[in-house]
Amino acid sequence: MSAMSDKIPVTVLTGYLGAGKTTLLNRILTEDHGKRYAVIVNEFGEIGIDNDLVVGADEDVFEMNNGCVCCTVRGDLIRVVAGLMKRQRPDKPAFDAIIVETTGLADPGPVAQTFFVDEDVKAKTQLDSVTALVDAKHVMARLDDSKEAREQVAFADRIILNKTDLVSEAELVEVERRLRRLNPLAPITRAERANVPLDQVLGLGGFDLARILDINPEFANPAHGEHGHVHDEHCGHDHDHDHGHGHEGHDHDHDHSHGAPSSGARGHAHEDDIKGISLSLERPMDGARFTAWLDRLLGEQGQNILRAKGIIDVQGEDRRLVFQAVHMILEGDLQKPWGATERRWSRAVFIGRDLDEAALKAGFEACAA
Amino acid sequence: MRTTTFDAQITAVVFDDTGAIFALGDGSVRFEDGAFSSAHDGAILCAVVHPSGDGVVTGGDDGRLIWHRRDEAGVLATARGQWIDAVDASAESGLIAFSAGKTLSVIDAKDAGFRRDFQHERTVSGVAFEPKGRRIATSTYGGAALWFARIAQQKPTLLKWAGSHTAVTFSPDGAFVVTAMQDAQLHGWRLKDQRDMRMGGYPSKVRAMSFLSNGQLLATSGAQGAVLWPFIGANGPMGREATEIGFDEGSLVALVASRPKHGLLAAGLNDGRVWLADPAGQGLNFLKAERGAPITALAMSADAKRVAWADEDGQAGVATV
Repeated sequence: MSAMSDKIPVTVLTGYLGAGKTTLLNRILTEDHGKRYAVIVNEFGEIGIDNDLVVGADEDVFEMNNGCVCCTVRGDLIRVVAGLMKRQRPDKPAFDAIIVETTGLADPGPVAQTFFVDEDVKAKTQLDSVTALVDAKHVMARLDDSKEAREQVAFADRIILNKTDLVSEAELVEVERRLRRLNPLAPITRAERANVPLDQVLGLGGFDLARILDINPEFANPAHGEHGHVHDEHCGHDHDHDHGHGHEGHDHDHDHSHGAPSSGARGHAHEDDIKGISLSLERPMDGARFTAWLDRLLGEQGQNILRAKGIIDVQGEDRRLVFQAVHMILEGDLQKPWGATERRWSRAVFIGRDLDEAALKAGFEACAA
Repeated sequence: MRTTTFDAQITAVVFDDTGAIFALGDGSVRFEDGAFSSAHDGAILCAVVHPSGDGVVTGGDDGRLIWHRRDEAGVLATARGQWIDAVDASAESGLIAFSAGKTLSVIDAKDAGFRRDFQHERTVSGVAFEPKGRRIATSTYGGAALWFARIAQQKPTLLKWAGSHTAVTFSPDGAFVVTAMQDAQLHGWRLKDQRDMRMGGYPSKVRAMSFLSNGQLLATSGAQGAVLWPFIGANGPMGREATEIGFDEGSLVALVASRPKHGLLAAGLNDGRVWLADPAGQGLNFLKAERGAPITALAMSADAKRVAWADEDGQAGVATV
């Protein structure tokens, strides 16, 4: 048995009030899957299940005394996970998975960091993934008025776009366009009444370096004209004025001159403060130079970087260098060798707040060997 | 030496006046003589000897505080569905203190009608009576709080220190309070002037703190050996160096156990070994020399003549020294 499989996978569910977290949790808990889950919730509500354990927690966020300002963790999770582990029997896991539900306004960072920082939690559990639920009808307004809503989307390994039956296809396309711009890494799954297959929520391996096989900025951004395409500088048209209008009462500094219905989440071209930046390079990189650049970048801007993932082609190395980061916490390792006929190229995605895309691109490309 | 295997994790072990008592993650309590109590519906999270010296008081994730004796068990208090995370008891005052969430509760072993509930701003992680059993220290985020055990309306004395404090203990002379912290250090306060004492340098979190040698030494886990802080005179460990015994580069001391009135120290390692030592003497006496799963519970009897341990895989043992 490998060390990895001994650890209990943890899935974090984020989403603001009304996005459908409780519906999804109830589905996970009641479906006939033969699995045993522990669920850590913030408010006991409509969840009442026999076989599974539902535990209350109080979002007790605190800073670690390690001089790193963004290194906040959830103290209640450390306590609750330690308590849950006491149910563990020798050679028999107490639970197939732990699911952590956060409140609508929660920052997912401290939840995720808890699983990297605390030695006891790290020894017993493995953060699997963060799934964000958003409600197709209200998400545009939430993204406008709530920093937390933007962070939840930006942080996710998967986004479930729920309640798609309540809006039109055109509105869905606009929503997906904005979600992809916030987070080019997370696949978006459409759902009604949170009816998403459970294998798209559990067991994703979002933080598992061995499973980061596919970071493809081109793939993440379908071609212009297709579903969910993000209009960016590669489109070759002036998108600032292409679909810009907004809700009434919003003050955006770009052009709002087009007349359009004021209801519904349509036609946004918001420059959100958070966005995902995709970088790639066809030439091999200098391993030492890249590592130094990445360390410095996370040290200086880690507070603003929510997530990062990358696959790097290091000169003179047969294996690919894979990394993932949550704020300043970085994990990187050499993973499987490049195939003989495989396209060897480096690519990385940084998702964060107020990132300077040109500077990131220049820094990344300066690591070329 | 006697060993047993349980089919659940052992979360705590204590010695009452009769023998060793193991508290398990399946909610049961196993007495050394084979007696069995299964009163909790869930895992036992904490345990302490009853103030009478007969049986064990356990707190569970079912929100119940239960007194188990060899022939009966009964609920002493409940915490309305919240986990009971920490418990302590005082033979001197006959009081039992336990925490659930942000609440510290105090009950009287001889007066079923007595109960006090004290609120904190953050979740309570540890509870400890002062030696006379009249005051209680709690650890929480941001420091420790001191409460008078019986007074209904009061403001606690707050001992502040930034960071997350995960456990607390009183020195046997009642002059010092020491907490263990999330970031692998101890913090202490001299109560008469609330002077701070920083006690750091640990490679790992400190899970156990225990006084020995008439309170002149505080032993802790969290390093490659057992760490001993001198508590001599009014200054305690201030300006003095800690010593380390049983240093072994390949393992960490997971737990320590001792008794204030005796000079012996027991240590349980993360590689499954258990040793006993006299810090004033030489060498280690391995009570369990074979390696195995990490030690998760360790206790020494009041007369320092017996040591009980258990590991993560359910192996448990009791040795007479």
